[in-house]
Amino acid sequence: MISVAGVQKHFKSGGQTVAALKGIDLEVLKGEFFVLLGPSGSGKTTLLRCIAGLEKPDRGNIAFEGETVFSASPRVYIPPEERQIGMVFQSYAIWPHMTVAENIGLVLTHGQRRIAKSDVNKRIRHVLGLVQLDNFENRPARLLSGGQQQRVALARALATNPKFLLMDEPLSNLDARLREEVRGKIKKLAAELGITVLYVTHDQVEAMVLAHRIAVMSQGEILQIGNPFELYRAPKNSLVAEFFGSINWVHGKLLDQHRVETEIGPLVVESYNGHTGPVVVGIRPEDIKLAASSTGGENRLEGKVLSSAFLGDQVIAEVKINETTLTVKAMPDDQKRVGEISVHFPKERIVVFPASAPVREAELQ
Amino acid sequence: MNGRHILFAVASGALLPVIAFLVIILWMGFWQGNPGEPVVYTLAHYRAILTDYFTYKTMLNTLGVSSISVAVSLIFAIPTAWLVERTDLPGKSWVFTLMAVSTLVPTFFTAMGWVFLLHPRIGIVNKLLMSWFGLEAAPLNIASIAGMGWVEGLGLSSLGFIMVVATYRTMDPALEEAGRVHGLKMWKTLRYVTLPLTFPGVLAAAIYIFTIGLSAFEVPAIIGMSNKIFTFSTFIFYKMQPLEELPSYGVAGAVSSLLIVLALLLSWWYFKVLRFASRYAVVTGKGYRPQLVELGPRGRLCAWLFLGFFFVVAKVLPFLLLVWAALLTYFQPPSLEALGQVSLRNFYGLPWELLLAGARNSLVIMLTVPTLTLILCMAISWVILRSGFKWRLAFDGVAFLPHAVPSIILAIAAVFAALFLLRDTVPLYGTLTILILVYTISRISFATRIINNSLAQIHPELEEAAFAGGLRVFQVIRKILLPLLKPALVYAWLWMALLCYRELTMASVLVTNQNNVTLPMIVWGLWLGGSLNKAAAANLVILVFMLPAVLLYMTFGRRSRFEEAM
Repeated sequence: MISVAGVQKHFKSGGQTVAALKGIDLEVLKGEFFVLLGPSGSGKTTLLRCIAGLEKPDRGNIAFEGETVFSASPRVYIPPEERQIGMVFQSYAIWPHMTVAENIGLVLTHGQRRIAKSDVNKRIRHVLGLVQLDNFENRPARLLSGGQQQRVALARALATNPKFLLMDEPLSNLDARLREEVRGKIKKLAAELGITVLYVTHDQVEAMVLAHRIAVMSQGEILQIGNPFELYRAPKNSLVAEFFGSINWVHGKLLDQHRVETEIGPLVVESYNGHTGPVVVGIRPEDIKLAASSTGGENRLEGKVLSSAFLGDQVIAEVKINETTLTVKAMPDDQKRVGEISVHFPKERIVVFPASAPVREAELQ
Repeated sequence: MNGRHILFAVASGALLPVIAFLVIILWMGFWQGNPGEPVVYTLAHYRAILTDYFTYKTMLNTLGVSSISVAVSLIFAIPTAWLVERTDLPGKSWVFTLMAVSTLVPTFFTAMGWVFLLHPRIGIVNKLLMSWFGLEAAPLNIASIAGMGWVEGLGLSSLGFIMVVATYRTMDPALEEAGRVHGLKMWKTLRYVTLPLTFPGVLAAAIYIFTIGLSAFEVPAIIGMSNKIFTFSTFIFYKMQPLEELPSYGVAGAVSSLLIVLALLLSWWYFKVLRFASRYAVVTGKGYRPQLVELGPRGRLCAWLFLGFFFVVAKVLPFLLLVWAALLTYFQPPSLEALGQVSLRNFYGLPWELLLAGARNSLVIMLTVPTLTLILCMAISWVILRSGFKWRLAFDGVAFLPHAVPSIILAIAAVFAALFLLRDTVPLYGTLTILILVYTISRISFATRIINNSLAQIHPELEEAAFAGGLRVFQVIRKILLPLLKPALVYAWLWMALLCYRELTMASVLVTNQNNVTLPMIVWGLWLGGSLNKAAAANLVILVFMLPAVLLYMTFGRRSRFEEAM
């Protein structure tokens, strides 16, 4: 288990102090695949580097299985080489002056977690086998392709049987097809080894495929921690909602726990325990249902299809209700191409946030 | 003839003399005769130098001085670079500034300072050591291979620093971090990752410095020549301007040819190593800086002591010695008695008329050479990077030659050409013009490299958009390229102006009279004539003249540009 408590980190750049981490609390459970997700500059890499010991926080505590590896006061700092970790860097950091075997062997023969000389070759073969690089031992590292370097980096990270595997955007330098393939292999390998993984990425699809749990980060803060389903269906704020796929925002006024008067008309929502007053209502494009003729009823409004684009597996339509235009993802055969249409907003799919929530801010970014 | 043709013509015109100089030197080695007499071709010069014991001794001297200077410069450069790049040492930008300014201090200046410190007869340190320990003879001798290598190495250490820093900087810090997170302690990471990865870069720096040491003139000329210790460059100089006999152009040509071959081989090796080193260089898109090693109060103290020792030894001490020498009529160690004799008499006694003539000439050179060089190199860079011309790589290669060929050899070729080839058509010998021309040619490599680096970063589509808009090539250069290149050009101009001001090597061959005398030549003249204290005083005068230009340079020459130039 990795416990992070109250971690703050500031950087000085050009005379200005920038807060990279504004007080992070986090627990990664044993055997869990935990993803730190956020746009660039959100502090996710800084947090990973603090956990690795490559960066020292200004405040807070970090503990591995209850043993403090960093504490601001009383001062505790266990250097990276003494922490039980393996790490895959974004650039892979494969030592170009060595062969594949030497890259792994150096760690095993000279590291703080070295093993008996007689076992080194066996271990090298074993970890190379894990990443399907059998017989690559004597290949000079600089002759490897990007994908192969990535796998050597993973093998090296696993060589010392670390308790924790830290990965910093390990797939971002691979091309799209390879990325999908490697993504699957990493997931399978982590499950087989039962290792605790902390994984940094800015790609929400990657995060959703890999993670047991995801922490969504923005501007040095954790916005929400949860499994992919929770984050998609029950975002705690509009930033998280926007980070996981597109969403339509409609301004309105909360009348009571269930009713909102919006720009497009009255909507019924599942229970919302906020103050009555201005709110924003969000619904994802694929959750809006279109029908040719109105049957009337709850959350069914009259609209007009302005344009639609046929994409094969789906249709993207611009639908205008009153003066507001919404994006709708529909199945290819359940809509009229252009013209008057009935629009249904299933109430269990609607999210509501106070109007002060940073919708505008998110748009500005 | 359109603009493109003109650019080609200018570039070719600038590079033709470079090739001509090399041909002249090779030719000189087989040539025998006097001005106006029929020429005889002979192998006698090569036979003479190859059978002369003195040649081999000179070669050993040269190799010795160069090797020691490499060792000395790297001993200071590598730790300094590591401190600046990988530790939390405060005040790093000061280290950079001091290093940049150190490079501008003329080498003859520090060489003279060290003579006053360690000369067996007059050196202060020797006198003190002799009186303290009751020694019969001076224990230290600056007029030796080791002494000259020491002074040369101190002078080249800032250059070494810049080159080693570049190797550290192009190395992906994650390579070191990967060692740490997988269990390697800091010194193991240094030993197995950092050192092997920086080795090619450091080796390249060592070869580069060795090549410079090989053709270095100022230190051997100030310290060695009066003690009959010759290196290749002073040997060639001596053959051109002997004290008693007639100049021996043939021998100078033959030795120069050998030296050129050696220098080109070293340059080839340098580029080979550099290409190997660049395989290790990774430019990361990462926004983070490597975690810096925390020195702690004691480490910080050691670091400052080390840096302080370096700057004191390399610059401050020689400077203080020159000031002390300039205030005395004959040199003696500091004492109460000596203090009573301090006066400004040396300054009154300086040949002020000559100094003013020198100042005027130096000023003309400082203004014309950088300007002319930049105009020519703009054309050369354009041909190399923008013309798409089939032979553009040949232009690149020739533009590099003035860097590889020792500058004294360029000067000798020019003198020979002026005396024997152009004597009746273009009177150049002994004029300021020949200085300006040779200086310009010698700076082509530097300026081309600077402009190439900057031009490569300007997307060609910026120019193509202007062409599409109907602008002609010179308008494109004036309206698009010059404004974008301006910071680099201003920097290069100032740097070249300062280097021209302190130039002594080529001047030693080219300056023949009061019409083209330069300030460093006057100092050297006083020194060779035995007026050591007056030479020290003159040194201070020219340093004062130099100050405004140095201040300008420090205002405009940012740290990044300085590195780029090296």
